[in-house]
Amino acid sequence: MTIGTPPAAPDSTPVATAVPTAAAPEEAAVALEKVSVTFGSHRVVRDVTLNLARHRVTALVGPSGCGKTTILRAINRLHDDTGGKVDGRVTVGDLDVYARDTQPELVRSRVGMVFQRPNPFPTMSIFDNVVAGLRLNGVRSKALLREAAEAALHHAALWDLVKDRLHSPAVRLSGGQQQRLCIARALAIEPEVLLMDEPCSSLDPIATAKIEELITRLSTDVTIGLVTHNMFQATRVSDYTAFFLLGEDRATGELIEYGPTKEIFDTPNDPRTKAYVSGKVG
Amino acid sequence: MPDDVDPPATTLEEIPPAQRTPVAGVQEALRRRWARPGGRLYAGLRWGGATIFAAIAVALVVSLLSSSGQAFGHSGLSLLWTGTWDPTQRIFGAETFIVGTLVTTAVALVLAVPIGVGTAAFLSELAPRWLATPLSVLIDLIAAVPSIVVGLWGLLVLTPVFARHVEPFFKKIPVIEWFFHGPALGPSMLLAGVVLAVMILPTMVALSRTALSGVALTDREAARALGGTRWQVVRRAVIPGARTGIEAAVILAMGRALGESIAVAMVIGNAPVIPHSLLSPGATLGSAVINFFGGVTTGLERSEVIALVVILLAITALVNAVGQLLLRSRVRPEVG
Amino acid sequence: MTEVKVPATPGPAGAGLGEGAARRRQVIRSTSARSLVRRHLAGRVAVALCAVAVAISLAPLVALVAYTTSRGIHALTVGFFTQSPIPPDGGGISNAIVGSLIIDGLAAAMAVPVGIVTALFLLERRGRLAGAVRFTADVLTGVPSIAIGIFAYAVLVEPFAHFSALAGSFALAVLMLPIVIRSSESAMRAVPRDEWEAGLALGVRRGRVVRSIVLRGALPGLVTGNLLALARAVGETAPLLFTAIGSQLFNLSPTQPTAAIPLVIYGDGTAPFPAQQQIAWGAAFVLLVFVLVLSLVARLVAGRLNRQAR
Repeated sequence: MTIGTPPAAPDSTPVATAVPTAAAPEEAAVALEKVSVTFGSHRVVRDVTLNLARHRVTALVGPSGCGKTTILRAINRLHDDTGGKVDGRVTVGDLDVYARDTQPELVRSRVGMVFQRPNPFPTMSIFDNVVAGLRLNGVRSKALLREAAEAALHHAALWDLVKDRLHSPAVRLSGGQQQRLCIARALAIEPEVLLMDEPCSSLDPIATAKIEELITRLSTDVTIGLVTHNMFQATRVSDYTAFFLLGEDRATGELIEYGPTKEIFDTPNDPRTKAYVSGKVG
Repeated sequence: MPDDVDPPATTLEEIPPAQRTPVAGVQEALRRRWARPGGRLYAGLRWGGATIFAAIAVALVVSLLSSSGQAFGHSGLSLLWTGTWDPTQRIFGAETFIVGTLVTTAVALVLAVPIGVGTAAFLSELAPRWLATPLSVLIDLIAAVPSIVVGLWGLLVLTPVFARHVEPFFKKIPVIEWFFHGPALGPSMLLAGVVLAVMILPTMVALSRTALSGVALTDREAARALGGTRWQVVRRAVIPGARTGIEAAVILAMGRALGESIAVAMVIGNAPVIPHSLLSPGATLGSAVINFFGGVTTGLERSEVIALVVILLAITALVNAVGQLLLRSRVRPEVG
Repeated sequence: MTEVKVPATPGPAGAGLGEGAARRRQVIRSTSARSLVRRHLAGRVAVALCAVAVAISLAPLVALVAYTTSRGIHALTVGFFTQSPIPPDGGGISNAIVGSLIIDGLAAAMAVPVGIVTALFLLERRGRLAGAVRFTADVLTGVPSIAIGIFAYAVLVEPFAHFSALAGSFALAVLMLPIVIRSSESAMRAVPRDEWEAGLALGVRRGRVVRSIVLRGALPGLVTGNLLALARAVGETAPLLFTAIGSQLFNLSPTQPTAAIPLVIYGDGTAPFPAQQQIAWGAAFVLLVFVLVLSLVARLVAGRLNRQAR
């Protein structure tokens, strides 16, 4: 893991030009080293090595079933509950996620997740949803809850909409608003990393645009890992892209190529990547 | 019947000419085919069955009401709050039995609901599959045990145990011993409540399990991803999400407890007095019918006993209807 | 050319979102770590309590089965099965066994056909009428069995001033009917649509489609549902108290009062003499075995159904 100097000020052009496609010189908030995930006898994804660069958006793209979501969930140890076995090394900052004495709950308080379909807790109000993560982590101070809720809702671009009805049921919001609520909920515990699993796939184009705009704004303060099956979304919001595909055996997903988004889409190294981004595959 | 395949219902004449497409013609042909004897016999059987069933349901209500008519005519609604049952003086009151029914049912619920929900949570959320499945099969088996066998066990086994150990034990506990004053005889409201609890527990567990496992996986994952421990996920996401289903379970379990008479009759002591303590013997609507019916001497007396059945039926039907409605009205969040 | 990402202006470098974010993050992290031990502990206590609940749930079943078996087995002599009761407190329950067979058999013969045919009605018909019938069936499953017994008394005993096995069968049939209806409807609805439509598309008469395709496909489910309904009816006592009423005699005629196993359990169980109580235990054991076997068979059939469906 090389630590380079992050750019001091934003360039008007995206990402410095001569960056190699393997390990980026930028600091990695999350590093995966030869990570494989196996369910029972079926290996879903194999030998993935990539980083989520700090304060950047890294998109995981590829056709369905290639292991993108599986890799994402390996970062916050969600496979613990589903019986998936994770090999390899995952680090979040200085924390070895799968070390024997690492508590998964503590990993998850540093790595937030937003799911494919908006999933606010149906029996809770908007406020209770936003602070749910805080409460689960033992925070009781009402002042802190209010403060965190307000900040999170601001950052999810939802504050003005809901500030007068914080205690109304969360399910009354529209789909796009619910998803932003879920983003606020994830942000409220101030995670370093935010994992997003196809967050826009169940939303209409307008809601999608709003969330993409949100992602771009958030990424300067939070590291984002985004799974998307929409290539154009990847080009719009991500700084780095990782391209996944089913391997030769048609059963196990592999990371084909990983690098700055511009390079993956304009000048890919691997012919399979080239085929995918030009629309021939998947 | 597959929902979107309609039985053809129109003749060709009823279809406006503009819509007489070939489909209409096919429908017409099918309809004519339907009218053939095979179709008519089949339809006849179906309607016959439904009619018999409906007739029975109606007859049930009608016959019970008419048989109890004499009683309601004689005692009127005061039947509900009169506390004396004295056939020789032609005074009949159901109050004792109504109170007894409510008390025993309450005791049963107080015991069965927490234990049932806790068991359901364990089986549905906390236990590994290899353990949960056989355990839940065993618990379902209790439901298969006939109430008479539970009653026999309650009468011959539990009664002495309660008289000698359980009831004296409760009398010693500081605050709640007020509920348990009076002699510890064995047959009592408490024992009847316990027996009822045993019988409604499988219902409570099964319905609660359904409610708990019906909570969406995605809600659990959300709680987990926020840093909740496994128990926190159950407590904060699953159980609240299952609340409507659990409420329905409680009400349906209550309905089941209300409808149980024979087992209660064997352990409640059948003293037609309003219980002043959980250790008092008493009577419920069901146990009263069982005990009185065989010994009725006059038509009025018989009618009064049937009136007790009608009261019980009314209470049970109401409770069950509410439970069924709750069961069907699961709150579904709208995700746009 | 691909679209190009335009980065936004960053917030305070690396400190998280907005002011106070760093402070909040610090507090949240430390609270989370500190509370984790407590949260895990609370979880373990909760799991332990729930496990205790499970144990309490199972205890009565275990105790009941154990006790019934240990007391009941002593009663199972040859005479127990072959003799009728010999007053005052001897003999066996042969009349009750036969009586139960007659009463339960007649009940099933009444309830199963009517129930299946009514289920077909619900299957074929949509709309409010079917909904009302279905709701009635659901409500009827909750009717106290004692009410059904009194109903049977009012229609089949009182008019003839005569207790009979038939009245008892009728009561049990009324009890079984809603269960048969609902479970049969479920079983038939579970038959995949393709099989229905294939038959109909070939122009086969509806009744025939049902007979050969649906009933055959639903057979395991129908068997399970009906066995469970029967298992429920077999153990009922209250409906028989006012109809078949029981008897000390051996009787094969459905128009006479007839002994039945649950009635023996009630009568002998509540009697003050140990010898009679012993007979009650024996009868209870026989009944328990029979009902549990019926339930297990029903479950096995249902299991086979599930395996076939895959």
